[in-house]
Amino acid sequence: MVTYDEGKTVPGPAGRGFLTRVFSTDHKTIGLLYLWLSLASVFVGMVLSALLRAHTSWPDTAIPFLAGFESTPERYAAIRLLHGSLMVFFVLTAAPQLGFGNFLLPLQIGAQEMAFPNLNRLSFWLTFASLAGMTASFFRPLTTGIDLWLASAALFSFAALLSALNFTVTTIELRAKGMTLPRMPVTVWAWFVNAILSLLIFSVLLAGCTAVLSDRLFGSQFFSASHFLAQQPQNLVRQGSLPVLWQRLFWYFAQAEVYVAMLPCFGIITHLVATFARKPVWKERLVVLAFCGVGLSGFCVWGYHMFATGMNPYAPLVFAVLASSLGIPAAVLLASWLSTLWDAKIAFNTAVLFAIGFISLFIAGGLSGIFLARHDLAHAAFSEDFVIGHFHLVMGVAATFAILAALFFWFPKLFGSCMNEILGKIHFWATFAGVYCIFMPMHWLGLLTQSSLLPEAQRVAVASASASIRTLVTVATIWTVAAQSLFIANFFLTLLRARKQEENNPWRASTLEWSTACPVPAENFGLELPTVYRGAYELVEASPGEFAPQHLSPELLDSAPKTR
Amino acid sequence: MPAVTTTHDIDVVIEKRNGGGTGNLPPVRGHGGGGDDGKNQPRRRPSPNRYYTGMAIGIVSVLMFFMALASAFLVRKGGADWVPVRIPTLLWFNTVVLLASSVTLEAARKRLTSGDAGGFRRFWLVTSVLGVAFLLGQLLAWRVLVSQGVYLSSNPASSFFYIFTGAHAVHLLGGVGALIFVAVRNFDAAKVSLTVAADVTAYFWHFLDALWIFLLLILYLAK
Repeated sequence: MVTYDEGKTVPGPAGRGFLTRVFSTDHKTIGLLYLWLSLASVFVGMVLSALLRAHTSWPDTAIPFLAGFESTPERYAAIRLLHGSLMVFFVLTAAPQLGFGNFLLPLQIGAQEMAFPNLNRLSFWLTFASLAGMTASFFRPLTTGIDLWLASAALFSFAALLSALNFTVTTIELRAKGMTLPRMPVTVWAWFVNAILSLLIFSVLLAGCTAVLSDRLFGSQFFSASHFLAQQPQNLVRQGSLPVLWQRLFWYFAQAEVYVAMLPCFGIITHLVATFARKPVWKERLVVLAFCGVGLSGFCVWGYHMFATGMNPYAPLVFAVLASSLGIPAAVLLASWLSTLWDAKIAFNTAVLFAIGFISLFIAGGLSGIFLARHDLAHAAFSEDFVIGHFHLVMGVAATFAILAALFFWFPKLFGSCMNEILGKIHFWATFAGVYCIFMPMHWLGLLTQSSLLPEAQRVAVASASASIRTLVTVATIWTVAAQSLFIANFFLTLLRARKQEENNPWRASTLEWSTACPVPAENFGLELPTVYRGAYELVEASPGEFAPQHLSPELLDSAPKTR
Repeated sequence: MPAVTTTHDIDVVIEKRNGGGTGNLPPVRGHGGGGDDGKNQPRRRPSPNRYYTGMAIGIVSVLMFFMALASAFLVRKGGADWVPVRIPTLLWFNTVVLLASSVTLEAARKRLTSGDAGGFRRFWLVTSVLGVAFLLGQLLAWRVLVSQGVYLSSNPASSFFYIFTGAHAVHLLGGVGALIFVAVRNFDAAKVSLTVAADVTAYFWHFLDALWIFLLLILYLAK
């Protein structure tokens, strides 16, 4: 009997106290906690973005409830920082990797738990403390606020390191019998590669935070202000040092975070596309290699940023080459998704729509990224609006679409029943239209700022056009935020009406988590851990378009050709 | 990792040998053997591989932390405001103490594999004492520097000196904690066996030892 029975009985879902449930070491509970954390953060973050847009378009309008805040440039910067921190750390990093990863990784490899359950619980609560710290830093005066924010970022890095350790060891050591590396689902590969990447970059991040914090608190001279500011472009320094330092610190974190946020999303999208196209992943090995490529170049770009405290003269070139080299794995992934979708009979449910939406956003955002990766072109294209438009499309919104796709797909595993399809589709189209109306015009705005070279008369015309574009962006933002109420309604109505799903495997998927009940029972697979007989995306020969479940032995598969 | 399976086997052998209660180690199977129907069976431990892998990966991550600082150090060293720190002589003495602790740690593990529980405890204790001595020595070295007027905030070089020694000391404090934990923990009821815990602690300890040599070297060469 291959079990990891540790003597204590696994408590059943019923009869557990609220506290034991919240402070559980169970990977499913912890995964759900991360998802709840992200849900709360994403809504606060979205409201903040609407505030920012409203302020840009109608600066004189007083916004109710917020009269108590003095409206200074620092407050505006602080709102931006809070929006960025919530979204980047607690949504984009937390949900696809820590939320879905914690819940699904042990299930997909056929394990009963993570390798170190107690460590896992610790990293969740450290993440929670970090969220509390970052939120609190918003309400502090600027200087102590930055200190608190840095300490919280350090805490987050530490928690992310512990999680990454757990993910890596779990994938290496706890795979079920027969689950060889090539048989792992691409989602597991993505989480695994991402965990290794996190392991490397978050320790660098932790070191950076420690040094900056020590500078600020104890007066050490790692990044002494005079030394640091002397290296910055003059036009940024002149705007006043503090907001620039805030901005710079944000970038210091953001570049690596892009890869950490995107990798698990790539995995999720590849998995969903194959499952719903009812075809194997096109060039699965190459896709896995592409994941490794993204991880590697993500790590190297980050290494660059360690030097990008403004010291290495060769760095811009290196950076440009590395950032462009990210195009290769990205092209491989795109080719794989499109080839898998090609000529497939797809059932267009909400999960697929969000997955295809992700691909669309990834292409759109990726194209504008080419301008930014070339440092000579970036100079021409560089303006705040262009950059904001670019990274929101490719990172923020695309990753959110992947998260939503994953949520619609795995909702029966997480909570027991599927979400409403009609509401889901309306929500998808409203959001899809909304985000394009927000971020595409931002690219135009960015390019318009180059119009200062034009003759006077044309410049006036451009300026008046850009004002109306800004209003369009703001209206679209409010529309998109409002459209999320559809999601909230769908989410909570489904939870309230949740009845047990009769079917274990509503999507006829092949991976191990679908061999268990919906929602997943506390002990995952029962006493006997599953044995894996084949890869994650193999079709039954007798009935085309039907995936062969990984856990069914060949004899069983033959005796029951209809695997539904 | 072939070494892992052998140590695990050895571990099982030790458990069997001490089962009768003759050794100094507490008997692993206290109550009487296999009379009852599987209820008092020895607890099934998860495969120890995860602890070895976990420690190896943890070491990589700690190494990255120090490499980040070291690369910042090397880049920052070229700055105009750099005033090298004179390394206190005491640091060389501390280094000898730390190296000695690695030797005694290996001696302890050797005693453990040969079943000499008393010898294991003795050498393990010596290692812990040497570890604490190193930490106190580092503290003294800081005091020496402070008496010379070299503070954390004096200049970039001193900042790096303090953060290297400080961050290393924090990790070593964790190592001393692990040493003490292994010494006092009753492993009968634990998920980990004594051998695995001792192995994993030893890996971490030797790593910190090597890391210290590296840090000392770059501090010394940066003069």
